Amino acid sequence: MIKQLLNWFRLRHLETNLDRELKYHIDRRVKDLMLSGLAEAEARRQASLEIGGIAHVREEVRDVWLSRWLRDFVYDLRFSVRSFLGSPSFTVTVVLSLALGIGATTAIYSLVDQVVLHALPVREPERLVLFDWRGYQATVNAFGSYNLMSYPICRDLQQQERFFEGVLCRARTIISLSMGGEHAPAAAEVVSGTYFSMLGVQPAVGRLFTNDDDQTPGTSPVVVLSYDFWKAQLAGATDVVGRKVLVNRYPMTVIGVAAPGFRGIDVGEVPSLWIPAAMSAQAIPGFGNMQNRFVRWMQVLGRLRPDMTLATAQAGLQPWFKAMLDEDTRREGYPKITAERRRQFLASTLELTPAPQGHSPLRRTLSQPLWVLFGATGVLLGLACMNVAGLFLARGSARGREIRTRLALGASRGRIGRQLLADSLLIAAVGGSIGIVLAPAAIRALIAFLPQGIGPNALQSVLNVRLLLFALGVSVAAGILSGFAPALQVGRESLMSSLKERSGTALGLRLRRTIVTAQIALTLILVIGAVLFVRTLTSLIAKGPGFDTSSLISFGIDPIQNGYSPAEAARLIHRIHDQLRASRTTQAAAIAFNQLLTGGSWNNQMTIQTDQRITTDREVRLNAVSPGFFSTLGVRIVAGRDFVERDTLSVSEGAQRVALVNESFVQRYFNGRSPLGARVGLGSGPDVKPEIEIVGVMANISYRGVREEWEQAYFPVISGGEASGGNAAGNFYMRIQGSPKAALQSIRTIVRNEDPTLPITFFRTLDEQVSRSLTTERMLAALSGSFGTLALLLSLVGLYGVITFTVTQRTREIGVRLALGATRLATVWLVLRDALVMTSIGIAIAVPSVWALGRLVESQLYGIKPTDPATIVTATLILCSTALGAALIPAYRAAAVNPTDALRLE
Amino acid sequence: MSSPRFPIPQGTLDMLILHILSLEPAHGYGIAQRLEQISKSVIQLNQGSLYPALHRLEQKKWLKAEWKQSETGREAKFYSLTSSGRKQLVTEKDSWGRLTQAVQLIFNEGDS
Repeated sequence: MIKQLLNWFRLRHLETNLDRELKYHIDRRVKDLMLSGLAEAEARRQASLEIGGIAHVREEVRDVWLSRWLRDFVYDLRFSVRSFLGSPSFTVTVVLSLALGIGATTAIYSLVDQVVLHALPVREPERLVLFDWRGYQATVNAFGSYNLMSYPICRDLQQQERFFEGVLCRARTIISLSMGGEHAPAAAEVVSGTYFSMLGVQPAVGRLFTNDDDQTPGTSPVVVLSYDFWKAQLAGATDVVGRKVLVNRYPMTVIGVAAPGFRGIDVGEVPSLWIPAAMSAQAIPGFGNMQNRFVRWMQVLGRLRPDMTLATAQAGLQPWFKAMLDEDTRREGYPKITAERRRQFLASTLELTPAPQGHSPLRRTLSQPLWVLFGATGVLLGLACMNVAGLFLARGSARGREIRTRLALGASRGRIGRQLLADSLLIAAVGGSIGIVLAPAAIRALIAFLPQGIGPNALQSVLNVRLLLFALGVSVAAGILSGFAPALQVGRESLMSSLKERSGTALGLRLRRTIVTAQIALTLILVIGAVLFVRTLTSLIAKGPGFDTSSLISFGIDPIQNGYSPAEAARLIHRIHDQLRASRTTQAAAIAFNQLLTGGSWNNQMTIQTDQRITTDREVRLNAVSPGFFSTLGVRIVAGRDFVERDTLSVSEGAQRVALVNESFVQRYFNGRSPLGARVGLGSGPDVKPEIEIVGVMANISYRGVREEWEQAYFPVISGGEASGGNAAGNFYMRIQGSPKAALQSIRTIVRNEDPTLPITFFRTLDEQVSRSLTTERMLAALSGSFGTLALLLSLVGLYGVITFTVTQRTREIGVRLALGATRLATVWLVLRDALVMTSIGIAIAVPSVWALGRLVESQLYGIKPTDPATIVTATLILCSTALGAALIPAYRAAAVNPTDALRLE
Repeated sequence: MSSPRFPIPQGTLDMLILHILSLEPAHGYGIAQRLEQISKSVIQLNQGSLYPALHRLEQKKWLKAEWKQSETGREAKFYSLTSSGRKQLVTEKDSWGRLTQAVQLIFNEGDS
């Protein structure tokens, strides 16, 4: 096949040689025959007869060089190229519309592939499953993540060899890492000893963890580096094995580097290094719960045995799981919970889900928006194809004479259809190539839109084989789609009717009208989507986080990770806080335990004691803050009072425990009564003592993100480092004077003076933070907006084309009408009516579709329903005015027809 | 054309061409003549099918071709066997041998 293609390039050379060869044969034969007594003419006749006709032989040899279909195809292509070069503006238009569609689809698909579809680069990823607890877990969620289990359960599951070849568990964390110099934050994965062997990942250098590295807690201070980290940070040093590193100031030894291309099991969080779970207390400061069955903090994944199905394994595990639950309730450390909760706990099941792509919170948040965008690009590509098909049809009408002639000369209808298909495939191939060239830039632009919390190198903008195959498939599909309508038309036309001038184009016109109507419908759907997403973004921006973000900045420090005890850390933070407040660049400064607007929060149910005792029906968002936090942010205290210094004393120092709640909390649980003086406690069990007094109510502010309206409760940061509230809150919020840059400078100086090894993390302005928390919404709004605009443009071109064509066709008719006394206005109306019919049918199709499709995007919207009438009306108006604009130009041209000219036309 | 001549059985032309070229390089006309001579005009060669076969074998790299002076002094395209062509000839002869043997066996069975 390849050789045959090569032959095509030297066809001329082959032909000359074949001619020489055959001529030699004939000449020799003639000579021989003449020797045997024949006259030359007779000899020549016989020689030619024997060989069966020179032309025939030549044709058969050509078939050897290039099989017939290939040869025809090549001729078709050559013909296409020539005819396209003949009409450059047409060619550029269709190529660019396809390039645009294919490029956009490829770019979005690249992200869908990387975030949603791509299987991990490990051995047989299709056998990986994720364990999930269905039911009430009754345990402490130590990490704000999903699908969490305790380490001992992972160990238990490793014993289930009947079902699994291997079981691993992992948790991600951020550590403070020093390779000998500066301490810098680095992403790490805390993993079981089975991690690498279960995944089937090989070392690039040294060795990887085995079960021996994950036995007694604290005894195996070893780490494995990621290939990317080793290359980037250590320049691929060959003597890396045996090097000492400091993980949260704890010395550990590098034992190896993992295989290139392996980036952990979470696409959004690329770890720089791996640490055995046995060292979790060192990797996660203050965490000593590795062996605790009631603290869930790791994701557990298993590899099914080759002969095992997911359903069998899941069913087979339940007896063990039930026995474990039962045993758990009798174990020491089992939380005191109500009988109802206990029943729920015992009714829990263990669920397995396929996890060839690993585990990723990013996938959870991004897959839906990405699919929505992918759908939108698909529609866009469809629109582009329809335009190209419409243009081809128009060209087909213009080329009618050529095609009719070919048909009359005996070309088969299939042959001509194939010619037209070759046309569109060629266009699609060129458009696709341009699209592929453009795709990496588009992917980079897309990645810039994504939430920036994604780890470095997490997503790539390079083209891989999968992507190229996808682009190729899309191009071919686009080619066939664009060529289908014209080819179909040729197939339907009968020779007789097509020989008659003009008839036969009626079918083409009807086809084009149908196409334009479909385009209008699809465009309206995209425009409505765009309006919905833009309004979502604008209303979120207008709503804001509930406080004034101008000149507000935040940053974090984590002394515990640098080896401080909680009490020392609290004192350090206190000292830094004091100095910050004294700084010239500071207007006000305060501390919070949890950062705002990062998507995470501290959650628990609460018990509320007024004249009756109730528990909250859902978890409340909690935070601990220093006095002055609300005034620093400018949050209004609606009732009662703010925290004061006295509140930060520990109970032993005589302080009363107090809390503030937000307006949503009051609304949900106090029925219009005042909450002041009511007592609350954390948790929902009967043993919870509501001892904390509500002393104030604050206005609602955003915690996890701008979108969320939720019940919140705030406690004062306890300065004494007391166990219950003595967390080392290290997130500072400051209202500054002057530029953030100057503020960062003075913050640096202050922190360095206290401890030069302490890294400052997450320094950013709150404006930046708000805009970060809206990245998904911004991506949806910007992309759907541009897709909507492009779609409008495409269908405008389509509509304009069809109307112009109709006007040209009906020039004579219009002339007659005008001659018979029709007004110019009536003529304009004649043309516009056509556009109006197509637009109305398009709208009639689109609006019910929006009803059906709305559900798919509902969760991405804010403050607006997908069937919002105002939105639909707005989008329809935009579409109608565009359509009107597109139709008016040819309509006026029709009105300007000179009757005498028109009638002379024939 | 008095005595009946057999058309070359399907698929054997390639093998015959390879065999003739294994004796010495030849041009198309030479091969045609040689086939007539050796088979004592029993086999009828459709000369038209010779050239597609030659080009097919050349494309498969079993033959190589070269323009050389022929016995009449004119340039002619001479074909010769490549080493892979030689190997192909051995396999084809071998399978042909086994086929004819098998056919013969079946005939013998019917006779006895």
